[in-house]
Amino acid sequence: MNDLIRNNELMLTRRLLFGRTALGLGTAAMAGLMNRGNQVLGANLNGGIHHKAKAKRVIYLFMSGGPSHLDLWDYKPKMQQMYGKDLPKEVRDGQRITGMTSRQKTLPVCPSKYKFTRQENNADGVWVSELLPHTATVTKELCVVHTAFTEAINHDPAITYIQSGSQIPGRPSLGAWLSYGLGSMNENLPSYVVMHARSRHAEQSLFGRLWGSGFMPSQHQGVLLRSQGDPVLYLNNPAGVTREDRRAQIDALSALNKAQHKRFADPSVLARIKQHEMAYRMQSSVPELMDLGKEPESTFELYGNDAKTPGTFAACCLNARRLAERGVRNIQIFHRGWDAHGNLAGEHGNQCKDIDQGSAALIKDLKERGMLEDTLVVWGGEFGRTPYCQGRLGKDNYGRDHHPRCFSIWMAGGGVKPGITYGQTDDYGYNIADVDGNMLKPQPDKDKWTPGTMHIHDLNATILHQLGIDHKQLTYRYQGRDFRLTDVHGHVVKDILM
Amino acid sequence: MRNIPIRILLTLSWINLYGSDHWAFQPITKPTLPLVRNKDWPMNGIDHFILAKLEKRGIPAPKPAEESVLQRRLSFDLTGLPPRGATKETSLLQQVEVLLASPHYGERWGRHWLDVARYADSNGLDENAAHANAWRYRDYVVQSFNEDKPFNQFLTEQIAGDLLPDNGNLDLRNKNLIATGFLSMGPKVLAEPDMVKLEMDIIDEQIDTLGQAFLGLTLGCARCHEHKFDPVTLEDYYALAGIFKSTTTMESLKRPTRWKENSIASPGETKLAEKHNTLVEAQNNLITAFRDKENQVLLNSGKFKKLPKKPNLHYPETIRKKLEKLLVDLKTLEESKPKLDSAMGVSDGKVTNLPVLHRGEPDLAGNVQARGFLSVLNIPNAKVPDENSSGRLELANWMASPKNPLTARVIVNRVWHWHFGKGLVPTPDNFGLLGDSPSHPELLDWLAAKFIEGGWSIKKLHRLILDSATWQMSSSAQSETVKRDPHNKFYSRAPIRRIEAEAIRDTLLLISGRIDTSLGGSTWDFENRKLVFNHTSKDSTSYNINRRSLYLPVIRNHVYDLFQLFDFPDPNIMKGNRSRTTTSQQALYLMNSSLVIETARKLAVDNAGNVSTKGIDRLYNQIFQRSAKEKEMEVGRSFMEAFTVNASPQERFQALAQCLICSNEFIFLK
Repeated sequence: MNDLIRNNELMLTRRLLFGRTALGLGTAAMAGLMNRGNQVLGANLNGGIHHKAKAKRVIYLFMSGGPSHLDLWDYKPKMQQMYGKDLPKEVRDGQRITGMTSRQKTLPVCPSKYKFTRQENNADGVWVSELLPHTATVTKELCVVHTAFTEAINHDPAITYIQSGSQIPGRPSLGAWLSYGLGSMNENLPSYVVMHARSRHAEQSLFGRLWGSGFMPSQHQGVLLRSQGDPVLYLNNPAGVTREDRRAQIDALSALNKAQHKRFADPSVLARIKQHEMAYRMQSSVPELMDLGKEPESTFELYGNDAKTPGTFAACCLNARRLAERGVRNIQIFHRGWDAHGNLAGEHGNQCKDIDQGSAALIKDLKERGMLEDTLVVWGGEFGRTPYCQGRLGKDNYGRDHHPRCFSIWMAGGGVKPGITYGQTDDYGYNIADVDGNMLKPQPDKDKWTPGTMHIHDLNATILHQLGIDHKQLTYRYQGRDFRLTDVHGHVVKDILM
Repeated sequence: MRNIPIRILLTLSWINLYGSDHWAFQPITKPTLPLVRNKDWPMNGIDHFILAKLEKRGIPAPKPAEESVLQRRLSFDLTGLPPRGATKETSLLQQVEVLLASPHYGERWGRHWLDVARYADSNGLDENAAHANAWRYRDYVVQSFNEDKPFNQFLTEQIAGDLLPDNGNLDLRNKNLIATGFLSMGPKVLAEPDMVKLEMDIIDEQIDTLGQAFLGLTLGCARCHEHKFDPVTLEDYYALAGIFKSTTTMESLKRPTRWKENSIASPGETKLAEKHNTLVEAQNNLITAFRDKENQVLLNSGKFKKLPKKPNLHYPETIRKKLEKLLVDLKTLEESKPKLDSAMGVSDGKVTNLPVLHRGEPDLAGNVQARGFLSVLNIPNAKVPDENSSGRLELANWMASPKNPLTARVIVNRVWHWHFGKGLVPTPDNFGLLGDSPSHPELLDWLAAKFIEGGWSIKKLHRLILDSATWQMSSSAQSETVKRDPHNKFYSRAPIRRIEAEAIRDTLLLISGRIDTSLGGSTWDFENRKLVFNHTSKDSTSYNINRRSLYLPVIRNHVYDLFQLFDFPDPNIMKGNRSRTTTSQQALYLMNSSLVIETARKLAVDNAGNVSTKGIDRLYNQIFQRSAKEKEMEVGRSFMEAFTVNASPQERFQALAQCLICSNEFIFLK
């Protein structure tokens, strides 16, 4: 039988049978689990479906374009001695190079021009670039992973890969998987909300696939919260139509639909009546959410004055906290412009100014409100950048090409160990290395995992794990095949978990 | 694929041995009609198969739907538009003929095929370049459905149109070339620096799409390993891949990468263009000769030891003016170059057999595999590719053979799916071992056999389906029926279906008198291969035309928001069954989009805000194509009376019209 129809039916059956549980509204995956009868529903799983969840929600700060790990997080002082010299062949070790630098005669080593300082954390400390002064103040909360890696080398496949587990378009996004697996905790807002933060270097397009539902029903796709015009497409009533008018119309509609229901005895018809009510509620819940008028001045001291301007990264971070407070499970902020091929000094400086204070404020704010412990915050992009220069190498400015073999991300809260670093790279930040600096060549492998590394499938498996989901068990059947976010791969990186 | 359910694990061990025993690989036979007790119910053969199962399960025979319900169902089903002016005197069968003859039929059913063909007006991925000529393929598909082109021919043209004889008929040649756009329509990683990978990725996309589209098999899996579930081997995959390696899909695999477009210009136009080229060349030669002469004059003057860097700066004024004139003429000539029409498509390239690549890695090459087809579907006497051509024509003939057990079953199932919202095989793109089994295997075979007998005519198949009690049954059901067939697996009642994104928009434009029903052509003024949507995340595509939705540009990575909201398929991948979801964002769209509000306003103006019951009745006819019931008129009147104190009659009427558009009856088909 048709997967989608079946799914809808299961969901509706569950709703009809159980009404609203501690989990909130419908969770489609749960219906499947319950049919298998191998799980007990209830608060003891803290919202999880396979095991007890450590995190109730995720806030994912996505740096689209590939931030330079070498200029932000991965401190490589030894590169100075190799300044301008060709990257040794044995370091490159056959790595594919993009079309943009493959015609360069040399690959000159390009150390970071930025000053790094060692910040205290709960372990041996962590080096942070001067570009991130605010983030440097919350290092005791961060788990900085230096060994994230991927295979994709171009933006579109890479960002599609990290967001959906496949380089080929068509799969559901991480957020859609969470919506499918966990449902919603809120009746007035969507379960998966996406924001696009303004950037001065808005390169690399963003598109619906990245928060889309792929082959899943579209109720699982992210809803875009916009900073200009209607915050949600078609949210606002047209000029002259009041809320009372709307109520009257919806009541009439409801009466009509109920009369028709006798003739349309079908669950999808019933669901549609509910969605009109939800839409009506969103018309007031979304403006209430977006109205920062009741935030005290201290909020803007924390997030910075930028947070008063809609659409800035800081404003998005503040919205993220407000969404989290209102029970939205899954929040993702996309910030573009990290693709620094030629003018890294110019661009990364601005990029960091955009995101630094907001990210740090979000951590502090969540912590103060006691929400950090059950909110998983993730910061990162789709790949890293090369230690060799693309284009002209200058002391003050340079460019870096895409680099999939290693890059840095950080995670905080949600049951992740605070104040640690994880994994290390070689002296060039080119390869993942063991503690002695020997090159490791980890591959995504369903049976083997290389300690100290975090493939993007491992990252996704770990995120799901913290939300109480076993990435191997959360499957969606489509065209006869059981799909997973992590395909056949993924290992939960338990080393970084509390 | 993994996370294999136990059911599959248990069967895995024997798949490789007995996978070829799978039902879908067996020859199509024509089963006899099963006996039924209720002799009055069946209208044709289809009904025997359906009723036999219903009777076996003690499910009551379904009742026929009311005539007005059928009219609406039929009209949306065949044209994607509400019924217009069908009089009660014409029988349903007469209406079927009228609708099948309407050009709007091809627009509706062509769009179904475009879902399968992953049709798009842009490339998507990193470099979202405009497919400014894709519309030619779209129009070809629409026309093929309108002409009732035999499906085996339709298949052959899309796989090997360029290799078909045309007897010098230019139109036919062009149509055949345009048809091969099917193979080129997929998204391509144009930014890929590795030419080998780029080419193999394109080949893989072609094989995977045509496998699912025509054969219901996911062949892409076999690129790296023996297919885990279906009896498709690595050798099979590379036998097929060789055919596409011997085919030219890309004009250039090097940067700047370019997909191929075949010229579809007439010989006259081509000649004209060639003539123009010689003019340009002559002008260029003239300029070169002029410069050479003047340069020599400069050197001879003794003022320069060697020719200065920009000699023209040293020419005398008159000479400089002459040169300028020559250059201006050249520019004018170049700009007036006649543009030759072209279409995305393929041609034969260098004939090559590929080695088997283990894990898909070029470094792990095994034995060279002769080009060929799937060994599990052995068709006696099928002609295999030879050394003279890519083998696409042989592949197409093998696929379109009446002896191929998959092709006819797959398309018959698709047509059934598009009529009922679900297929006899519920996974229309997967007939392999992981696909669902058919609910009525004998019916599927009977239809496939009839289809082949009928010369692969899609329209005959429509007539057969539409003239059945099965298609004409009512959607309401007794509780006994629901109890015995809760998921409507056995066709005990008609499925209730939401109309698609295109039908929603087209209907709104139609009932507000705004629709432009002109047919075909490009509606999108965009330079071919130019990036549509990149870096800035701004897409300047305008959807502000009143043509049917079929003609709106389909931009990969940025599908029109109405389409996105109402389950238009992701145009990056083929998809034979669209989702049908219900979301609150759809509700917001119906409440607040200008399309809906403007429709309601037009209806109110059209009815001059006539708040009488007569006005309400007319409104019901416009929106639901039926009269209002007494009770409904009453509800409508009291709603308008109570609606906002200061509203004008027209505003009250508009509010009611919008309620009706938001209601279930508008968006669902019974």
